[in-house]
Amino acid sequence: MKVDNSLPLEYSTEENNLKILGFWIFIGAEIMLFATLFTAYFTLENRIGNGPSGAEIFEITPVLIETILLLTSSFTIGLGIHAMRLNKKKATMGFFIITLILGAAFLGVEIYEFTHYVHVGAGLQTSAFTAALLTTLGTHGLHVTLGLFWGLFILIQIKKRGLTPETANKSFIFSLYWHFLDIIWIFIFSFIYLKGMM
Amino acid sequence: MKELFPVKQVMGFAFSIVLTAVALLVYFTDMSYTMGMTVLLITAFVQAGLQVVVFMHAGETKDKGSIYINIYYALIIALFTIFGTLLVLVWDM
Repeated sequence: MKVDNSLPLEYSTEENNLKILGFWIFIGAEIMLFATLFTAYFTLENRIGNGPSGAEIFEITPVLIETILLLTSSFTIGLGIHAMRLNKKKATMGFFIITLILGAAFLGVEIYEFTHYVHVGAGLQTSAFTAALLTTLGTHGLHVTLGLFWGLFILIQIKKRGLTPETANKSFIFSLYWHFLDIIWIFIFSFIYLKGMM
Repeated sequence: MKELFPVKQVMGFAFSIVLTAVALLVYFTDMSYTMGMTVLLITAFVQAGLQVVVFMHAGETKDKGSIYINIYYALIIALFTIFGTLLVLVWDM
């Protein structure tokens, strides 16, 4: 395989380049997936039936904690990729571990939030609003859960094999995924929570 | 240690915190609906763009063109889906 040493490891072969481009195309499809979920939510957000409205169940504190956690984890994985480009294996792994811990904390708060919603009588079947809300939040949460396992496996590979064109490429693609989840969260934060509490 | 924290990314992170704080004004101050939505639309899209350019390194390689075309295409379909539906089903136009 032709290895171009003038580029960072993750781009060093033609195959690696194509994998990154391919992942961007996947992200394009994910954008459309979340667009349909947002569409359903915006259409149904006022159909609350006998259940509570968004303004009644949303709480600013957990939402703010989730936002800070995910925003910071997006920053730390960016630093992880930067360390990877400096060929610092330990620092890369350190930043990946911090990222995954922040991600797990985010998920913990989200699980608390979901049990809270069910407690105050906003379950999946309560109204069109709660169904659309929990489906949208749940799809994002599921992506984060998947990302935690994915990140963990990549961490193990870096530990075992070191920073090679292959593991660097996988790490970079994982970082794209993680940043993308942060972007989706920004839209959830702005147009579901803040809009709902305005 | 210092080389592990590139200025560009630290600034990017600081800016995203600022944008989040600005978005929070919608909650903590008394704004009209139009004003609030304008603020949220601006802060959300600026922050998304920041992530793509600073953290996702979208414009770094020869595939730059393909990546941006792909993202713009996805974004156009997303916005058409959302606003098209709102137009017909919610705003009743």
